[in-house]
Parts: sequence; structure tokens; C-alpha cells
Amino acid sequence: MYAGVWLLLLLAAGTLGVPEDEESRRIYLQFNPGSSSSAVNLLHTRAVGNGSTIHYVWSSIGAPAVLLIYTETEHSQLRLNWTKLLSPDPSGAIAIEPADSVLYSTALAFTRIFEYNDVNNTANFSGAAERYFYPSYDLSNFVWENANNTLNSSSLSFHLTGVNATDPTGSFRNGSISFKVTAYDRHGRDASSPRLLHTANCTKLEFQMSGVQPRGNRSRFALEMFTLEEKSGRKKKRSVRSIDDEYTPTIFEVIELVPDAPNASHAQGYFQWKSVAYGSQNGTRSDSLPCVVHGLQDMNGTLPAPSIIQAFYGEQLGSRYNMVALNVSFGIADGDFYDKNKYLVWSALVGYGTPPRDSFSVLVICIMAVALGLPLVLLIMGTILVWYLKKTVFTNYQPIN
Amino acid sequence: MCFLGFGSYFCYDNPSALQAQVQLDMKVNTADFMQLYAFYSWPNVVLCFFGGFLIDRVFGIRLGTIIFSLFVCVGQVIFAAGALFNAFWLMEAGRLVFGIGGESLAVAQNTYAVSWFKGKELNLVFGLQLSMARVGSTVNMNVMGLVYQRIKDAMGSAGHTTLGVTLMIGAVTCLFSMACALILGYLDKRAEKILNKEQGKTGEAIKLTDVKDFPLSLWLIFLICVCYYVAVFPFIGLGKVFFMEKFQFSPLQAGAINSVVYIISAPLSPVFGFMVDRLGKNIIWVMCAVVTTLAAHLMLAFTLWNPWIAMSLLGISYSLLACALWPMVAFVVPENQLGTAYGFMQSIQNLGLAIISILAGVILDSRGYLFLEVFFSACICMSIIAVVMLYFVNHIREGDLNLTSWEREKQQKEAEVEDESE
Repeated sequence: MYAGVWLLLLLAAGTLGVPEDEESRRIYLQFNPGSSSSAVNLLHTRAVGNGSTIHYVWSSIGAPAVLLIYTETEHSQLRLNWTKLLSPDPSGAIAIEPADSVLYSTALAFTRIFEYNDVNNTANFSGAAERYFYPSYDLSNFVWENANNTLNSSSLSFHLTGVNATDPTGSFRNGSISFKVTAYDRHGRDASSPRLLHTANCTKLEFQMSGVQPRGNRSRFALEMFTLEEKSGRKKKRSVRSIDDEYTPTIFEVIELVPDAPNASHAQGYFQWKSVAYGSQNGTRSDSLPCVVHGLQDMNGTLPAPSIIQAFYGEQLGSRYNMVALNVSFGIADGDFYDKNKYLVWSALVGYGTPPRDSFSVLVICIMAVALGLPLVLLIMGTILVWYLKKTVFTNYQPIN
Repeated sequence: MCFLGFGSYFCYDNPSALQAQVQLDMKVNTADFMQLYAFYSWPNVVLCFFGGFLIDRVFGIRLGTIIFSLFVCVGQVIFAAGALFNAFWLMEAGRLVFGIGGESLAVAQNTYAVSWFKGKELNLVFGLQLSMARVGSTVNMNVMGLVYQRIKDAMGSAGHTTLGVTLMIGAVTCLFSMACALILGYLDKRAEKILNKEQGKTGEAIKLTDVKDFPLSLWLIFLICVCYYVAVFPFIGLGKVFFMEKFQFSPLQAGAINSVVYIISAPLSPVFGFMVDRLGKNIIWVMCAVVTTLAAHLMLAFTLWNPWIAMSLLGISYSLLACALWPMVAFVVPENQLGTAYGFMQSIQNLGLAIISILAGVILDSRGYLFLEVFFSACICMSIIAVVMLYFVNHIREGDLNLTSWEREKQQKEAEVEDESE
């Protein structure tokens, strides 16, 4: 009976942890809307529902990047001016109609991949000496495959796959870099490691390096990206330490990039990932590569390459937006090098609203309830039994006395 | 007597203390390296049992102890020779021989303790033995690396020969243990002559099938033992990464906190042994120990509190449990079955450890540390259930497990009076 009470209490505690926004959205995926060209990649994802639309614009024009635009109507549309977009000055080529429905927007761009020779196997990216760095790969110089062929409307996913255009060392002869994007229409959890929890309000991005020849056998990599936020706010790194590593064994840290705007009137965008990448396709614990975020550095110059970010936000980005750059480095001291499997995959969520948080699984709660309840039940039953036996013994003795 | 086990515990953890050196000099990977421990463990699942049986039935305690310590010595020498000749299979064979002696020697040690100290300071003696064992492990962890370094300096280069010589030096502690076994045998013989005391066997016919006649209390003690130890040792084995990932400790700190259980139990075991001797009430102490361990595991699983608290609690409760649990066996089985009972206890403990270690690895890989901690907590809860049942069984059958020490003394005196009057 006590076990039952425990169970109820724990279950109640467990259900509190389930996110309240279990809403679903209708997802529309479109490749190069309004253009018949397949020389460039621009993918538009619309997540419609609950009186709002989240637009995601993914593109490999310039450097690979994503725009997240939240509008307070189900009927907002994306307007693209292709000639302007592909011109040297793309400002204003991407717009949302009606413009005043846009409540929030942010962007994330991937600019460079660093490779360094980790001579002492310390995985200390920020402390590695300049001379150990190989020339970085500039993602704006990459050649990207046609993403239309990878578009899968049932799993709501596509890839942006590219190789270095010049490739003087032949590193990309048998390999490539790819960004795999998966949209979600409802709440759920991924089946593959790191088994991120997601809602209908976010999209998953997987950065994957596969078969790329490292330039040394002790090579480690890091990914450089930048993001922006309106002047009123500023992106901040938030490290959420949890006690729950059920879904991602041995990883207890979740990193979130969220705007630091204490008195914002509405929800805002977020980037979220677990501090782990995997060095193999099957994503087992032995192949996990812990990852570390380095610095959120202010970048108040112009963008390194024209991209969809400029097309949407226009010129003078620096004066109207706070732009920050950060690096995510992969690998841990004394851990395996990339060379082992020549494979690396790192997953992150791009979304709007409150970032999803893991909670205990029902199995854990049940086991704890039974394990803690049973000894108590036994103790009580035993006490009653002993008391009863004593009483009978006592009554047996009484007549003799 | 306490030094009897020193050599075997010292050498047991030799591989661990020299892990890096062994792997480098012998050119083996971690899985192969772990085989050194597996080769020690697997035969013991069966052998402890026979070890106990052999002590009770065939050799008697004196000869048995000497034979087992001989096995330990020879095993360690073969192990070292394997390194000298750069033959890893020989090292594994050495560990096998070492294992045959090692755990059985522990059984012999327990039997000695009971035959000399039952009704006196039994708990204290068990505590002292445990602390000696821990001192052996700790000294080994700290000394072997240094010895290796010295020899390397003296020889000018590192290699399998260096490793072999280092391990040979380790074998000296085994010789020392064997000397202890001989002295013990001599003392025991003399004591027998002087005090007309019988050796730890009575010549009564005992069969292996006696196992089925073990009282319920003994089975419950076995259950407590297995469920408890499987939640402690495999956890310590997997603990380092846990402290590094969950609590962001450096590898050095993580190693330190992981060994704190052993470090605490070395000085504390005799203290607790003395205390339990003075106060009796073994079941209550076991209960305290198990509940404290559960608290420690829950803390590690569900909080981000400083793990030093939980690990210290674990160290304290671990020493308390060892002091209060092991001597209980002596109260529930007749003296002539003691060797068998201890052997059996050691056997199923080894079996449990071997199985749970593998299982724990699988759980960790698929479901992570939280689930692993929940699993260990469930094991501990199982142990609590067994303690509660033991308490009631003992209560109903009016056993003497939970008497205070003065009650025990009284009982013993009454028994003596009865003996004399007969």
C-alpha cells in the first residue's frame, strides 16, 4: 500500500516534467521556391499550426546557414527575389509577407572548420599553439550538391552536402561535409544518439564529416559558427547540467544558446545541443566525443560572405544586431582521434520557445518506487506478523501462569 | 594472522597499479588487460567453494592454509615470469594459479579467525583483516609504480624485463604471507597441544550436499552479501568516468575520489569491528550500513551534491558492513561447516560480481549512469529486504544474531555451565 503511494507520488512528479506544449504543426518543405534552377540550394520549411508559422530558410548560398522566422499568423508567406539573391548585393532578397507579422527572427551560419594537430592528446582546442593548426576549411568555398535529390517528404529531411572546391590536399576525394536537416511535426524523441528530445517547434541539424581525410593522424576538428540577435538582446551560452543521462549515456550537460533578454514580451529562439558528438555511425558510448564550446565573441564587422542572412536582414547588420561567433570543438583528452573511423556527427536543435528538457523515464520511476516501497511493505508486514505471533504466544502462556 | 592476506591482496591489484606499464610493455589492449582480472575471478566462482570444503574435509585448516599460500606464491612467480619472458599467456596462466590460491586463502583466513576468536573479539579481528587487505591494496597502488620507476632507472630502459623484475619483487610479499601461514600453522598446533583445542575440523562426515541444509538465515546472509557487494565494487570499477562527466572532476581527482572508499575503510574497519564486538546487535549494524549505502547511491544518482559526501558515506558503510556481516556466519552454522559456508559465500559473491560487472557495463552503454545508479540502488534495496527478513527470521526463531554482547556472554557462560554439569 505504501508502495502504491510512493508510485503515485513519483508518477505525479514525473508527469510534471513533461512539456506542456505537446502541440503539433503541419510541415511544408520546398526546394528553391520560385526558381527552376538547381545550381544553388535554398530550402524553405514552414511549420504551421496554433495560429502561428515558423519559417526556416536553409541555404548553402555563401556559407551554409539557417534563418528562423516566427510569425503570428498561419498565413505568412516567404517572398524571394532570386536575381537579387544571387547578385553581389543580396540585401532585401528574402522577405516575409505580411512584414508586420514577424514577431521574432534569428540566424545561424556555419563559416569554417578548423583542423589542428593534437600532438599531446589533450584536446585543448583553445590552448593549442598556432603552429599546430592546419589551414582551416572555409565553408563559403565549398561546392554543394543538389539538395533536391535528398529531399524526403515522409521523414521531413534533406541534406546539404559539400566538398572543398579547391582541395589542394585531396582530403575530400572520398569524403564530404554534410548538414542533415530534419523537421518535426510533433513532440518526440530521436531514435539515434544522442536521442534529443524535440517538439513541433524545432528542427534538428546534424553536422557530419564522413570520409574526409585528416591532414595528420592526430587531427581534431572544430566547427566555427555565428549567430545574431537584435540589439535589445544578446545571445548567451547557457550550460544546463542535469542528473539524467538515460538517453545519452555519460553525457550530463546540455548547451543552449538563448537571447539574454530578461524583459522580452514573447518567447524567443534557441539553439540546443548535448555536449557530445559521435565518431561512428552507430553512436555508441565508446565512440562518443565530448564537445566543448569556446567563446561567444562579438563580431561587429561585415559578414565574411554574402549569404541569406544579409538577404533577409539587409545591410548594416553590425549596427542593428549583436553578432557573436563561437567554436564547438570535438574530442576529449586521451580520447580517440578522428582518424580512427574518419567519421564525426554532431546534432543540435534550432527552435522557437522554451528549449525541451529531459525528464526521468517511467521505467526509472517505477523501479525506484518498487525498490523503495517493497522493503517498507515488508517491514510493516513483518512487524504486524511478529506482533501477532507474540500475542498468540502470550495468550497461550496466560492460562499456565 | 592479519599479514596472511597481505601478500595476496598486494599482488591482486598489481595489474591495476601497473596498468599503463603492463599495456605498454606487453603491448596489449585494455580488453586483454582486463583478462588478467577475469582469469583471477572465473575459477574462483567454483574454487572458493571447494577451497572451503577442502579446508573442512581434506587438509584441515593448517595444511590448507599453507597449500593455498603456496599457490599464491607460485602464481605470482609465474605471472612475473610471464613478464620476464615476454609471454602474455604465461602471465594469464600465472593469474589463474594465483586466483586458485587467493580467494581460498581468504576463506582459510576467515576460518582461522573464527576458530581462534569466536565469542571474543571476532568482529574486531574481521575488521583488522579487512583493513590489512585495504592497506595491502593501497600500498600496492602507491608503491608498485615507484618500484617500477626505480628499476627502470637502474636498468636504463623500460621493457618487459623491467616489468618482470618489478612483479618478482611483488612476489616477496607472497613469500612473507607464506611464512605467516607456516607460523600460524605452528602456533595453532601448539595451541592445540597446550589447550587441548581441536583443529577447525571435527571429523564428522560432511557432504557437499550439506549446502541444502544451510539454515535460512545463512541464505539470507548470502543474499545480503551478494546484493551489497555487487552495488559497490562494479560501481567503483566504473566510477572514474562518472565523476569526470557528471561532476566535472579532473582524471586525477576522479581517481582520488574513487579510491576514497578503500582509504576510509582501512583505518575504520578495526574501529567498527571493536565497536560491534562491544555492542553486539549485528543485524542492526548491517541494517544501518545497507541503508547508508542506499542513501549514498541515491545521492550520487539524483543530486549534484559534492560526491565526496556520498563516497565517504559509502566508505564508512562499507567498512561497517564488512565488520558486522561476515562474523554473523559463525553464529548460524556449526563450526565444522564454517569453511564450507565461507567458501560458498565467497563463491557466490564472485559469481555475482562477475555477472553484475558485465551487466553493469551493458547498462552503462545503453542507458547511462542514472539508470546504472538506479539499478545499483535496486540491488541495495534487495539487500535491505534480505536484512529485514533476516531480522524477523532471527526474531521468530530466537537466534542470537541480534543479541547484545553481554547477552551473548551470558549465553556462553550458561552453555559452559551446562557443559560442565553434563
